[in-house]
Formats: sequence, structure tokens, C-alpha cells
Amino acid sequence: VSFTSVEFLLWLLALALLYRVCPERLRFGFFLASGYLYYFSAGLLAVALLTGVTVLTFVVGLSLERNRARKIGSLGLPIAIIVLTAYLLLFKVEGAIHPQGVGKWIMPLGLSYYTFKLISYVLDVYWGKMPAQRRLVSFLAYVAFFPQIVAGPIQRPDDFFAQRPQPGAMFPAFARIAWGLAKKLLIADQLAPAVEYSFSHIAAPHAPLWIGFYLCALQLYADFSGLTDIAIGAGLLFGIRGPENFNRPFTASTIADYWRRWHMSLTNWMTDYVFTPLRMATRTAGNAGLAFSISINMIAIGLWHGLTRGYFVFGVLHSVFVSTDALTSRWRKSWFKKHPDWNPVGTWLGWLLTFHLVALALLFWRARSVSDATSFLRNMLTGLGRESAGLGQLDYQTRHSLFLGLAGCLILELCERYRPERWLRDMYENGPRFVRWSIYGSTAIIMLFGIALLVASGGGSKNPFAYAIF
Amino acid sequence: MKELEEMRGPLTTVMRDVFDDEALVLHPEMTAADVENWDSLTHINLITAVERKFKVKFTTAEVMSLKNVGELANLIHGKRTAQS
Repeated sequence: VSFTSVEFLLWLLALALLYRVCPERLRFGFFLASGYLYYFSAGLLAVALLTGVTVLTFVVGLSLERNRARKIGSLGLPIAIIVLTAYLLLFKVEGAIHPQGVGKWIMPLGLSYYTFKLISYVLDVYWGKMPAQRRLVSFLAYVAFFPQIVAGPIQRPDDFFAQRPQPGAMFPAFARIAWGLAKKLLIADQLAPAVEYSFSHIAAPHAPLWIGFYLCALQLYADFSGLTDIAIGAGLLFGIRGPENFNRPFTASTIADYWRRWHMSLTNWMTDYVFTPLRMATRTAGNAGLAFSISINMIAIGLWHGLTRGYFVFGVLHSVFVSTDALTSRWRKSWFKKHPDWNPVGTWLGWLLTFHLVALALLFWRARSVSDATSFLRNMLTGLGRESAGLGQLDYQTRHSLFLGLAGCLILELCERYRPERWLRDMYENGPRFVRWSIYGSTAIIMLFGIALLVASGGGSKNPFAYAIF
Repeated sequence: MKELEEMRGPLTTVMRDVFDDEALVLHPEMTAADVENWDSLTHINLITAVERKFKVKFTTAEVMSLKNVGELANLIHGKRTAQS
């Protein structure tokens, strides 16, 4: 059931109401039942695989803790890591061999997200960051928590289990969901036709390629952050606060800063479990060790999406960008310290450069193949100035939704900058009763608006979420 | 937090140098979120600088489970006591 369907909203509402009467000791059982019920749409085999790897990880966690003092006990760690990584790679390799989905095996829903939850769990228990879970029900519930199973955010086990699930306030949860739906339906889906047009007309030099170049990043941001908003909002209904995935990524003025703001739950995961161990192992190798660790980390981020050449090039490009950033960081900082007048110029130039580097790498992420991405780039550059038709090449409908989407982007940026939900929450918590009642009223209106939006868009989005396929 | 007090001087020198901040004042609950340049890249620079200064060696597991400056001081103290 797609997150943008009326059925999903009704299912959420029904679950949220049911959860309010669920006794406290049964809450993880409730998560388990709802998670598996939701996951059944992925097929019986996917359910069996999910259960199998989760139970295996649970057992390994217990044995790691029990045998912490003994050397032989830590053998469970490499075994679990190898099994989980091989399990993930098996489907990724299969996906690379049969990209059109005609292969024999279909990748289980949410595979890339839940295997990462499992790997971080065994490492955290091994490192002594958290105790092993003793209740299988809670552990199964954590891995299959339905708001996060389709596309994250990748919540760490210590963060999940540190929370005491209580029924959450409906208003902030549904407002967050409505916000996510609006990002998806009013921005991402409106930008989609123009971006799609440019990515399917890459053979000749022409101006709309520039639209695709600039808007692909904005479309993906609205799409993926919208999905995360729905996931976080849904979690809030059950008193589970998921980690944030985005923090205004396009305001970053360095590429390292961009990665601290984009798909944060994945970046943080990679930093803790790939970059830091690698960097520890290469810490005596100086700058070469640093560049090596960054490169492996960024390529791993690329290939996490799938084992294709495009994702690989995406990772390689980012490894060059981030390494250059890291190796010149000290020098740049000391230069700007000595020349403070140049700080605003540096910030603006850095911002422009960062956005263009991100958009450049995204071409390889988005295009069907590496050669498509290079011909996109070539024709975009040679098409500059040669063709003045520009937007005229797009049909009326595409142009119309493009402007709607751009206006949406502007509103999105203003909202993320000035955070109106903060003073709204303040009014809700501290205001007089009539304010609270008008907020209840507006919640109802927001929900009706959300449902109307879904119905108007023909029962949900026609474009699946970009990040729901990993 | 007597461990931190014992090594406040040398640890402050190391951290001021790594994070390029001459005004840095250490306290036990201090974390990466409190220091401007403390990120995943400079974190390992801090670890190597501490290793060199105090002549100790850390494992990845130890580095991963550190929560704040107080715990770092405890860890250094524990290693040095074990060595002597």
C-alpha cells in the first residue's frame, strides 16, 4: 500500500485509534503485528526472509553478549556481518543482472534499509554501545516497524529502544504527514514531467536539458524528504520519533556539509560503520589514508542504491569532491580567517559550486546509463545559446506543472527557513482553549485537504517514491 | 571527574590544535555537537593526536563507544594506568 494512497491514510488512522486502547505491555506486539500485516503486501517469501534474518541477528546478538569475555564468542560477529552483507548483495547482484525485473528473484521490500538496521545492531552490541535485546517480539517489531520499512529513515537500535512508546499527539503527526504529501504531490510530481522530458530527450543539444539538470535535484529532494516526513509523522502517532533525514541540504556551502544534511540516516550509518573503522585502520597513513577511507565510504553510499555503473560513478564523483574538500579544509579555513572580508563571497561561491557538483553527480544517479548521463551533459553544454526555444519545447501541461512545482519549491524553502510549525506548536501548547480547538479544526481540515489531494491526483501519486525501491 | 582535571592541560592543547579554536575550554559533558569543527573527519584526527600525545593506542570499539570528553579522559587514564 503506497504512502500516498487514501487506503494508507485510513489504515494509519485506524491503527492510531486502536493503539490508544492498546495496553502498554502489548505495544511492541502491536508494532510487530501491524508491521508484518503491512509487510504481507510484499509477498510470503519476503516475509519469511525478513523473519529469518531478523531471528538470526537476534540470536547472534544474545550470543555476542553472553560470550563477550571469550574470544571464540566474537566469532558470531564476522559470521553475522558476512551473512547479512551476502544476503543484501545477492539481491543487488540479481538486480544488476536483471535490471528490468525479469529475473527469477524479486528484491524484498525495504531490503537495503532493514539489513542496515540489522548490521548496526550486531556491531553496536559487539562494541558494547547497547545491551542485546532479550525480547524477540520487540526486536522483530523494531526491524519491521512499518513507517520505516519501505524507505527508512534508518533508525539505530539504541535510539529506537530508548523510547517508551506512548500514543502520540494527532495534530503534529498528521500535520507532518500532510506536509510530506504536499511535498510529494504538489512539488515532486509537478516537477516530474519536465525532468522526465529532459532525461528522455538527451540525444540532441537543447535548452530544456538545463531544466533537467537543475530540477532533478529539487524533484528528488521534494520526493524523498516528503516520503521521510510521512514516515516520521506516522512514527509519531505511535510515540516513536524517527531520525531526521534532511536538514535543508541545498543551503550547504561545502560538499561535506551537504552530506551532513542529505539522507542523514544513511550518511550517519556509513560514517559509523564504514568510514570510522576504515579511518581508524588507516589513521597512521596520513592524507592517503583519509582519501582512501572517504573514497570507499562514498562509493559504498553509491552502490548501496544498486550495483550499476551509474551509482558507481555517482560514488566516485562524490569521493573526489569530498576528498578534495577534506584535504583542503584546513588551508581554506585559515585563509578565510586571515581575509574575513571574503567570507560572504566564499560562502556564496561555495554554495553555488556545491549545488552544481551535487546536480552533476545526480545525473549519473538518475540517467539510465553512464553513456546517457555523459550525452546529457555534452548536449546540455553544447546546447547552451544555440537554441533559444527553451521552455517552448515543453507542452502546455508540462510547463504548467513546472511553474506550480517551482512555486512549491519557493514555499518549501521559506517554510524550512522560518519554521512556522514551531510557533504553531507553541500556540497549541500554551495558548487558550479556543486556540487549541481551532488547531483541532485545522488538523481536520488538513486531513480532508490531504484526502482531497489524493483523490484529485487520481487516488494517489502516479509516480512511485524514488527511494522506495532500495 | 578527577581524570579530566589530571590531564586538562595537555588534552586542552591537543583539542585546541585539532579543532583550531584557541578559546576551547573542556568540560566532562562536552560532545562533538558543542565544538564547531568537531565532525567525523576531525574526530579521528583528535584520536591520533591524543594517541601521540599520551602514548596510548585505541581500538575502533573503544572509539565508537565514547560519548563525551569525560569518557575520553577516563579511557586515556585507564590505558596509562594499565601501562604503568
